Amino acid sequence: MITVTVNGQRHDIDADPNMPLLWAIRDILGLTGTKYGCGAAQCGACTVHLNGESIRSCCTKLSRAAGQQIITIEGLSANNNHPLQLAWNEMNVPQCGYCQSGQLMSAAVLLRENPNPTDQDIDDAMSGNICRCGTYQRIRAAIHRAADLAREGAKS
Amino acid sequence: MKKLIFLSIMLAITSIVALSFKAEPAKKKNRVTVVKDSIGSVKAFMSVYKVLMSPRCMNCHPAGDQPLQGDDNHIHTMSVKRGVDGHGVYSMRCSNCHQAENDPGVHLPPGNPKWGLPPANMRMVFQGRTPRELALQLLDPKQNGGRTKAQLIDHMANDGLVGWAWHPGIGRTLPPMTRAAFAAQVRLWIAKGAYAPGAKAK
Amino acid sequence: MSDISRRHFIKTTGTAGVALWLGISAKGSTRKVTDVATAKNFNPLILVESNGNITIYNTKPEMGQGTFQSMPAMIAEEFEVSLDQITIKNTNGEKEFGDRQRAGGSSSIRTTYNDMRKIGAAAKAVFISAAAKHWQVDESTCYAENSKVIHKPSNKSLTYGELVEEASKIELPKEPKLKDPKDFKILGKVSKRPDIPLKTSGKAVFGIDVILPDMLYASVERCPVLGGTLKSFDASEALKMPGVEMVVETERIVGKYHFTGVAVVANSYWNALEGRKKLKIQWDTAGHETFNSNEYENNLRKLASQEGVIDKNTGAIDTVKTSPQNTVEAFYETPMIAHHTMEPMNCIAHVQGDKAEVWTSTQVPSSIVGGGSNDVPKLAGFAPENVKLHSMFIGGGFGRRLYPDYVIEALNVAKQVSKPVKVIWSREDTTTQGPFRPMTFSQLSGTFSDDGKLVAFKHKVISPSYQESVRKDFDKTKVDGTMVEGIGEQDYEIPNIKTSYVRADYHVPVAAWRSVTSSTLAFAHECFIDELAVKAGKDPLDFRMELLSQPSDTKRIFQKLRELSGWDEPLPKNKGRGVAQWKFFAGQCAQAVEVSYDPALKTVKIDKVTAVIDLGEVVNPDNVKNQTEGAVVMALTAAIKPGITFKDGKVVESNFYDNPVLRMNEMPVVNVHVLAEGGKIKGVGEPGLPPFAPALANAIFAATGKRIRKMPFDLKIS
Repeated sequence: MITVTVNGQRHDIDADPNMPLLWAIRDILGLTGTKYGCGAAQCGACTVHLNGESIRSCCTKLSRAAGQQIITIEGLSANNNHPLQLAWNEMNVPQCGYCQSGQLMSAAVLLRENPNPTDQDIDDAMSGNICRCGTYQRIRAAIHRAADLAREGAKS
Repeated sequence: MKKLIFLSIMLAITSIVALSFKAEPAKKKNRVTVVKDSIGSVKAFMSVYKVLMSPRCMNCHPAGDQPLQGDDNHIHTMSVKRGVDGHGVYSMRCSNCHQAENDPGVHLPPGNPKWGLPPANMRMVFQGRTPRELALQLLDPKQNGGRTKAQLIDHMANDGLVGWAWHPGIGRTLPPMTRAAFAAQVRLWIAKGAYAPGAKAK
Repeated sequence: MSDISRRHFIKTTGTAGVALWLGISAKGSTRKVTDVATAKNFNPLILVESNGNITIYNTKPEMGQGTFQSMPAMIAEEFEVSLDQITIKNTNGEKEFGDRQRAGGSSSIRTTYNDMRKIGAAAKAVFISAAAKHWQVDESTCYAENSKVIHKPSNKSLTYGELVEEASKIELPKEPKLKDPKDFKILGKVSKRPDIPLKTSGKAVFGIDVILPDMLYASVERCPVLGGTLKSFDASEALKMPGVEMVVETERIVGKYHFTGVAVVANSYWNALEGRKKLKIQWDTAGHETFNSNEYENNLRKLASQEGVIDKNTGAIDTVKTSPQNTVEAFYETPMIAHHTMEPMNCIAHVQGDKAEVWTSTQVPSSIVGGGSNDVPKLAGFAPENVKLHSMFIGGGFGRRLYPDYVIEALNVAKQVSKPVKVIWSREDTTTQGPFRPMTFSQLSGTFSDDGKLVAFKHKVISPSYQESVRKDFDKTKVDGTMVEGIGEQDYEIPNIKTSYVRADYHVPVAAWRSVTSSTLAFAHECFIDELAVKAGKDPLDFRMELLSQPSDTKRIFQKLRELSGWDEPLPKNKGRGVAQWKFFAGQCAQAVEVSYDPALKTVKIDKVTAVIDLGEVVNPDNVKNQTEGAVVMALTAAIKPGITFKDGKVVESNFYDNPVLRMNEMPVVNVHVLAEGGKIKGVGEPGLPPFAPALANAIFAATGKRIRKMPFDLKIS
């Protein structure tokens, strides 16, 4: 039995400790916002936060998450209102949308650590997340927009 | 004539290096005293150098601020950056993908608890360094993380992340000699005087 | 039957009180609708319930191209409802929604634009009539807005919900009056796609996300040598693995090819994958294990000497005098590539007796419930009425999900399992098992007259055949129209044109890939036009414009591109611009690419891409821009990243580490201009793709003098 806290809720998971965290999150906890894309830490579709770091859950064993705090896309905000989600919605970023959970989880770490990222910072943070539909230009713009929204939110 | 000048310069520099070695004689009490031997020392270092320049070692000691991958030393896909602490930036921290151990399978992320590059303030570049440059750099506490020679030997012989190079996981070529042989060559290099190869050594 | 379309008074379970369905008819396969009122095959796309709920059905699966918003938008505009007042539902191949429930060929809007507006307008007219009758006023004094009918003089109003019962007694007008486009509130405006909040919160349910009670998971081992067949397998070790419940054979059918695999069924996907590693399988690979793509490419080069089958032959090309002085010849090559949808292939199937239920992401719901060239019930052994589909959001299609091979394979697993089973392809499976876009090689020549006019143009395509792969009865003596797509259709005025096709034998299943063969042929064709411009000593855009004396879409698009790209502004040394366009079945786009060359690093950087896409009519311009930006990304990936190669019969590449796609740090700036000035209605999803690679290669030539004739190519110039 492995105890993991996901989006603030404690779960006791009875599974192979070597099972990738991704499959525990999706198939056992039923949180399917986190996606399978490559199984090789190449595409970032499976990105979740482990103690605040945007790990690739497809290559992270369940055992690493034991006793740790996991946040998935479902827990990024209370009501789809993280500044990044607001910016993504405002700027019509997604196409098929499959990669966007991972994109948002990666961008959330960037924005937390750097409230005013440059294009270079965005490249450095986001090149681990593939979008086959090619929404990179919009993701870039939406991260800048979210930085603005976060600043406005902080002022008000 | 040229050769002679070159040789004398080398001797001058190695004598400085040898001088600094004298600062730590205490531990050597029980060891068989090895006579300083610049030729033997350089020879040992050249073996060490081949290991350090092998992909398993050099890929995380790049000239730039991006780690390398593969036996062709290409820049790490997804444009990974060193970061201040050598462990990446933002959502691209090393441990976001690299686990405490190798993921099983070809091309899956290799792993180690300490996975990372040297930090930005102590970059310890291997890539592009000549044998001479690398030897001097390794011996310079200002560039080697403040390590004494004993600590340098210990790092090469016992450090867990260094040791990963000999357990790199499926599909990755090994350094050109065993770790034990490598450690022995490091010891020999230093014991024989820690001489740096000449500027033309390749 | 016609009563249904007249009265539309259908009580449906789950609807509130009286429910009114309004729809459109399809006559034959052309699906041209002129008479809503006497429709026979009624497709009920609007549902209005007496509690005020309004549902609009989307028959075109949503794969990122925006149909979830754009299809209902065309109806809603004329029906006078706003998109936040309606519920949008994707259809699941149900017979009543017709047999055109498929998304491909950039066809969703361009083939339904007038029909969808007409159904919306007819529905609105019915509600206005009902209100006028209720108030006993003249219809002309009433108008509809925000799902209400308003009596203008008195300002009283009734909602569509309140009018349902009366409206259901009124006949639909035969020729409903359509709105003047200047009064549009939704069409042509930037509007929000309602699927976006679902996709930013993790709530959108893709096929792979469906979880059913008691569901099992399966992973299938398929022969790594494509074409190999199953001899025998030993599942004893796999069956000892934790959670593994059973191991079964399964058949996948893609086009004319039948492949057998071995499925490990387990209580979790992870356990299925672990169990799969323990399978011991004997494959018969005889005849296929020596296949190497470099040898195959040599074969294609050799075949170029064959005459081939004539596709188009205008003028009298064989009488044109050619000499080395007045003729340019070139040979272009492109690779095989994979689709790499981010959502790997997957399907959940539940078979109970002779009935099957399927949950999946597919571009072809209609095929999954029967009909068309990929008739899933027929291929999987079910009566069409016994197959029920749940069509989910699609995590990327790009043509791959036009082929329901993964559905057939899952059904064949599920037949042997009592519970629902979710078959998930790994990324490696998705990369190595095809179908793939085939390579095309092109032999081109152009001849100038003594006074410097381009008088003859030949384009011969040498490639495997798409049609031969997808159908058993393909006539090999005929030209495969798919493989010469677009090359005889360009607007350039050249008096003598000959296009032809040399078919090469192949055993690898091939697929349409976003913009189909235009994704390779435009590269050859439009780069070669550039070579001809160089021969003529002319600016590449001027040279093209000189071939466009008559009014044409191409001419109009180029004029706009010239202006927006700053084509005529001089560039400094080591910078260059390239241009290309492509006209094909899906639509038309032209692009200008600006690059800089760094002589120290010997690398080219893409500074700017300007795209002009011509649509005739536009539904959601911001979405068109997003689509075109994405098309550029996909085209850039195809241009500079490795393709799929074979060694010893096996695909060499397996995942993004050796079959990479473009990432954020490689993204160029893309500016898209949407032309919607009337004229032929054109598609959105694909046209942005074909012109990019040739425009880039032409720009590289302009900056460096290096002519690129082979994809993929490196931005490092050697």
